[in-house]
Amino acid sequence: MNDTALESFTKRYESLGGHVHAAGNVESAAQAVLEIVRERSGTRVAMAGLEEHLAAAFGRVLAESGVEVLREPFASIKLPHGIDECQVGITGAAFGIAQSGTLAEVATNDAVRLVSGLPRAHIGVVKASEIVERFEDAAPRLRAIFNEHSGACTVSFISGPSRTGDIELILTMGVHGPEAAYVIVLDDAERRVPQ
Amino acid sequence: MTERYERLCAAVSKALETPERGTALQRCMQRGRDSRGRAIAVLPGGEAFRAEVKAIKDRCIERQDELVAKFTACAQARGAHVYFAENGAAAIDYVLQLARKRGAATIAKSKSLTTEEIEINDPLIEAGLRVIETDLGELIIQLVHERPYHLVFPAVHKLTAEVAAIFAKALDKEVSPDIPSIMKVVRAYLRPIFLDADIGMTGANIGVAENGSIVIETNEGNGRLVSTIGNCHVCVMGIEKIVDTIDEALTLVLAHPVSSSGQLPTTYVTWMAGRADMGDAGVPRETHIVLLDNGRKAMRQDPGLREALNCIRCGACMNICTTYGVVGGHTFGHIYPGPIGIPWTAAVHGLDKAAAFAPLCISCGLCKEICPAEIDLPMLIAEVKHRVAKRDGYHRADRTMMSAERFAQTGSTLAPFANRALQNRTARRIMAKTLGIDADRVLPAFSRKTFKQLFTGHTSSVENPLRKVALFIDVYANFNRPDIGMAAVECLEAAGCEVLLPEQHASGYPYIGYGDLDRAREAAAFNVARLAPLARTGCDIVAIEPTAAYCLRHAYPALLGHSRKSLEVAERSFEIFRYLLDHEPEFEHVGGKTDRSGRRYGFHVSCHQRPMGSGREAVEWLRHRGARVEVIETGTCCGMGGTFGLKAGPLGQGLSKAAGLGLCKKFKESGVEAIVSESSVCAIQLREGTGLPVLHPVELLLPAQG
Ligand code: SF4
Ligand code: SF4
Repeated sequence: MNDTALESFTKRYESLGGHVHAAGNVESAAQAVLEIVRERSGTRVAMAGLEEHLAAAFGRVLAESGVEVLREPFASIKLPHGIDECQVGITGAAFGIAQSGTLAEVATNDAVRLVSGLPRAHIGVVKASEIVERFEDAAPRLRAIFNEHSGACTVSFISGPSRTGDIELILTMGVHGPEAAYVIVLDDAERRVPQ
Repeated sequence: MTERYERLCAAVSKALETPERGTALQRCMQRGRDSRGRAIAVLPGGEAFRAEVKAIKDRCIERQDELVAKFTACAQARGAHVYFAENGAAAIDYVLQLARKRGAATIAKSKSLTTEEIEINDPLIEAGLRVIETDLGELIIQLVHERPYHLVFPAVHKLTAEVAAIFAKALDKEVSPDIPSIMKVVRAYLRPIFLDADIGMTGANIGVAENGSIVIETNEGNGRLVSTIGNCHVCVMGIEKIVDTIDEALTLVLAHPVSSSGQLPTTYVTWMAGRADMGDAGVPRETHIVLLDNGRKAMRQDPGLREALNCIRCGACMNICTTYGVVGGHTFGHIYPGPIGIPWTAAVHGLDKAAAFAPLCISCGLCKEICPAEIDLPMLIAEVKHRVAKRDGYHRADRTMMSAERFAQTGSTLAPFANRALQNRTARRIMAKTLGIDADRVLPAFSRKTFKQLFTGHTSSVENPLRKVALFIDVYANFNRPDIGMAAVECLEAAGCEVLLPEQHASGYPYIGYGDLDRAREAAAFNVARLAPLARTGCDIVAIEPTAAYCLRHAYPALLGHSRKSLEVAERSFEIFRYLLDHEPEFEHVGGKTDRSGRRYGFHVSCHQRPMGSGREAVEWLRHRGARVEVIETGTCCGMGGTFGLKAGPLGQGLSKAAGLGLCKKFKESGVEAIVSESSVCAIQLREGTGLPVLHPVELLLPAQG
């Protein structure tokens, strides 16, 4: 990833009606999550497919603000209904594609797909270093993911909010999927550039 | 045959009675084409992806048996159940048994044309299941018990107010006639269905053999929910959807939405391999992939229809087809609508069903130019028409149109008399009755002297020719307007070319249009045999009628199995202005003779010009020389469709004029003083539709002539 890839990802994703927040570290990512949840008047949030340290940080900040947080394996709720009652779903993405403004979410448990598919707002979290430039660059990434998970595995490309053109080909957002789509790009540059 | 023709005529007449519907559809089609155009303008490589898509589909269909086996093995290895269904009945039976075994009550469906193809809903509903379409467009047409109007936008014919009324009635509540209100209602209605469905049924846009995954592309997100929630998932997929690699699939994932709606890619693309658990409930979850043959294997063995298997169901061809735009997908379609609907219906639903709407294709060829898989749709459609005609015969009017050359020959021989007859009401009424030629069309007068006769008496003044040109003249310039032919000769000679007129027949394109491929091949073989030796000695072949140039360059090779000779001819064949432009540096001194009166001309790009370059070569040439010419277009056909628009009745001039309305209006509103078009038949349509004079561009080149 370089700055131009992040720039073109942002431009593209926003042109699709989504919002992109660049976060310099985990704390500011958690703050961004909190702001979005507040904006969406969220009282219940589901999280899935996030790296543990991210899930922990987000969970802490949200809980401190009185937001109920549901986490894998969702033993306390009935699936899928419990997820549908959340206002916001947060999932991790394995990589992003700048050219098309796409997040690639990996699910070896379908609860992940519920979290990004049922609530009215979705937040995807991707590392800046994992944004590839061109669409075709996704091929080796996909291949590696399916090789790593040799059993059931679903990769979902998500490019902005749910939309339809089924009535008179007029673009309308938010039919069945989220009407609001956010991406938090986590700048992990410090890991790449040793001081 | 006659009865079927009459039925189609009646359907067309009915469509012509409600032009508002057609206009709304055409607006949507235009919206689709515009977004496609914008997407391609920024796509790296532009239109180049089409060749790539074609190559992928060609090689995967070639390796079909191997890829089906590989896909099956890989999908099974990931835990999917794979069932090969020879036909629709077998697929339906499999799903029914599965539903019974699982004690299922509700099936939530995501859009799947393949399940439409086998009409799976009815038998499931009869078996007591609740089957709900969740794609908005599909849901709308399910509620009104209709069939898809368009491959990608199944309810494109329903206007917002109608949609609101449909939901109001179905859900028995008030729905305001605006899209956001409709969305709210739909979301609330479908939510419990998503959450509680026992079985989720989807199609798949692609099957990837490499990892046994299916790829589902949706924008609304219903495909994701349907494939995630129910503990049982069923995917019904045609075997032609299987590709080998992820890379190939990625190309298609872009090609599909770029072509239909200008997106890259759809909002959601689900790559689903096997069936994952949901949470830790420990409930067994299944996925069943039903691989459907239903005539596809036979199609693959059928050289006349095989190419249709390359279709990636993007729907672009129905965003450009003019006659589809007038009559809509219920008349222009069986279950598969639009251009591709003709060969697909013939292959999977039988020739009769295809015959019911195949005559609506007027062979403009535009669908081929927009198709991301570069499918030669007009040729596949001609094959279907050919098969129908071999069995049931040709309609009278179609026979007349296929004899245009003989007709013109007679007309020219009897010129003064024949021309009087063309002006005479009684004679025209008799012609309409006996020959099927519309009585009101203003037909061009015949010339007593043919171009061939004039040319034979002409002596060339070119001494050391720069190039040698064989002129391909076709019917109109030969029998009706030899002066245009002579203007072309003078122009080429002024450029320093030696002009020859080899023995030739008419291009024979009407044989393709009306489905007599035997005679089309004869005409192609005749002309190629005479032109190939010339091409081989370095002689160029130039046509002044776009359709003739299209035949030489595209249709003849396709008809003659891409024989070496046909390719030699194709390579050296040009539409006259393309030719002049290509050699502009050499031909510089033909300039200066263009109309510089300042008169504003509007240029009409004929359909067959488009595949041979920009289609605007004449405009460029004329403008360089000071003429005021602007292109005026809608992006589709003028509706004439060669001689289609000359035929009497709704399935001729009626449909043709309706299809041309939009373009004629644009010309009239543009304020141009005259129209320039290279096509002799488009000229008839535009002259009548606008009241403006229509000239061939060579007439502007040498205004002193003619
Ligand atoms: S050739 Fe023209 S008329 Fe025929 S199906 Fe294609 S677009 Fe329609
Ligand atoms: S024939 Fe071509 S343009 Fe038409 S739907 Fe199929 S792929 Fe698209």
